[in-house]
Amino acid sequence: MKKESSKKKSMKKIIKAIWIFNWFNSCGFCELVPVVGSRWDMERFGMIVVGSPRHADVLFISGYQTLKSIKVAQRIYEQMPDPKVVLALGSCTMTGGMYWDSYNTIKRLDDYLPVTMYIPGCPPRPEAVFEACSKIFQHVKEME
Amino acid sequence: MKGNLKNEEQLLKEIVSNYNVEGKIQREKRVWINTDKENLISICKFAKEKGFEHLSSISVTDWIKEGEYEITYHLWSYEKKVLLTIKIRISRKNPSAPSVSSIWDRNAQIHEREMHEMFGVEFKGNDDLAPLFLDDWQGLPPFRKDFDWREYVKKEFYNKDNEREVVYRE
Repeated sequence: MKKESSKKKSMKKIIKAIWIFNWFNSCGFCELVPVVGSRWDMERFGMIVVGSPRHADVLFISGYQTLKSIKVAQRIYEQMPDPKVVLALGSCTMTGGMYWDSYNTIKRLDDYLPVTMYIPGCPPRPEAVFEACSKIFQHVKEME
Repeated sequence: MKGNLKNEEQLLKEIVSNYNVEGKIQREKRVWINTDKENLISICKFAKEKGFEHLSSISVTDWIKEGEYEITYHLWSYEKKVLLTIKIRISRKNPSAPSVSSIWDRNAQIHEREMHEMFGVEFKGNDDLAPLFLDDWQGLPPFRKDFDWREYVKKEFYNKDNEREVVYRE
């Protein structure tokens, strides 16, 4: 068996819970509300929403992003400590969605931010959000 | 028309006789005044003195065929319970209007800032007309009728060779 690097080992220990910072425009938070609510309750898996990007592992980005708000999102991303993961929720975030011909919304998120995972849907199902989050654990474990 | 229109009639009479403008009672609690930009400030001052302390909104309508912008000021009086609507017409070329920020201060300032951004109307006397929603905007003001937003979006966003966006460009 290949010997694990010390960083990887320590990462394995650390990654038990993921802390989330939300950057949501317009209807964005509606997409996460079922996950936060008591039926799917994300806190039982240790996923909590933190108040500062400096505490966060994961950036949830949702809703249409305007040219003005994407600048703020970039600053948030830069403030997050490594290793960091960006999840794009919903179709508007990824492609502009129904705002595909709007003069003031971005059309490709990955022109602006390195996106780790896309969760499609309008809104995405809570199951999809959970599957993406379980893949984050996988992603961190596979990191060098 | 139903109800007691005493407030509305008195207000309309005062404004029409003082400033020689057109006006009508649209319906209960609604008074419309059509004027020009020379009279605007004096009428607004008069209205403020009469108790119209709430400037609900300033909006601009683009009448492209007539080559004019119509600026509409909605004023509300808490005492009289009347919505006074003042309308002025200005030219579409080099549009400019006097600012009412000397009368309603910050209340007017933010509305004028938005209208300056979306229509390019220059409000003379307003000291802060910096961009509000749009960052680094290059094109025409976007709410103008002659702004072709499809062309603009194609030029600005869909000009890259990207497989996923071929669908949009076709």
